[in-house]
Amino acid sequence: MKIKVTSIYVDDQDKALRFYTEVLGFAKKVDFSQGPYRWLTVASPEEPDGTELQLALNGNPAAKAYQQAIFQQGQPAIMFFTDDVNGDYERIKAGGAEFTMPPTQVTGSTIAMLNDTCGNLIQLTQLARW
Amino acid sequence: MIDREHYTPGPAGGAQIRKDGEKWTLILVRELRHAPEKVWRALTEPAHLQEWAPFVADGSMGTAGATVKLTTVGAPALHITETTVTRAIAPEVLEYNWGDHDMRWELEASGGGTRLTLWTNIGRRFIAMGAAGWHICFDVLDHFLGGTPIGRMVGADAVKFGGWQRLHAEYAKLFGAESPAGPPNAPKS
Repeated sequence: MKIKVTSIYVDDQDKALRFYTEVLGFAKKVDFSQGPYRWLTVASPEEPDGTELQLALNGNPAAKAYQQAIFQQGQPAIMFFTDDVNGDYERIKAGGAEFTMPPTQVTGSTIAMLNDTCGNLIQLTQLARW
Repeated sequence: MIDREHYTPGPAGGAQIRKDGEKWTLILVRELRHAPEKVWRALTEPAHLQEWAPFVADGSMGTAGATVKLTTVGAPALHITETTVTRAIAPEVLEYNWGDHDMRWELEASGGGTRLTLWTNIGRRFIAMGAAGWHICFDVLDHFLGGTPIGRMVGADAVKFGGWQRLHAEYAKLFGAESPAGPPNAPKS
């Protein structure tokens, strides 16, 4: 048993694909459609065969309610790890993304938070070296 | 008679695309050697649909106003949409929505068989994928109607199957479409 894919709800899959590839810098991995269903995933270019992130349409009321509730609480829908949170902050900001929190030191790590424009907050985390 | 292992789809054909504003419609035509009444049952009855269609229905789709749940088959995650049959004139015209896709089927008696036409709206980049998928579904339907079923081939099952890649490339060429299943970092359109 392996953790091969994890999912995030998005309000528009085309828009999400643009943001997650062009702004965040991930690479499209699988884009398959059958009728109204679309299975869309991205992966990190640093780890092309690593865990995939499914950009899932929030096409049912429960998904929308969950997404909106945690967004309103300021909770990130997902967390990505980086070795250079300041560098990623500058790069992603230059790509046009809006950060709700610039890189901030907390216990054990430096974190930043941004809006993915698809209904989610995303946390970037750089663990402190011990 | 052929079995599933020896099935090879014929060349791409019988497909057109139409653009209306931002909306793309895929139009597929298939000649079947079976009477419209028989084809109608294959399009509307759950026990028949499950032999060939990319979804299963939890009730008959043969009456206007009928509401059924369609479950996409072959998707990596459970996907269910509720649909209402908006038009059903047996055995000639059937219309319903599959999620945000409008589906219109027309059955025309033709030389003892049926000329079956499907209109379905589809995202631009998935036109070749849709045409290849329906092509294989219609082959499976033809075998099912002829009493020599080869088993439904949809979703990942269809893609893994060798003929799918060839068909997909042929339809992509026919429509001048980019290949949607390119490798990561493929140039964007």
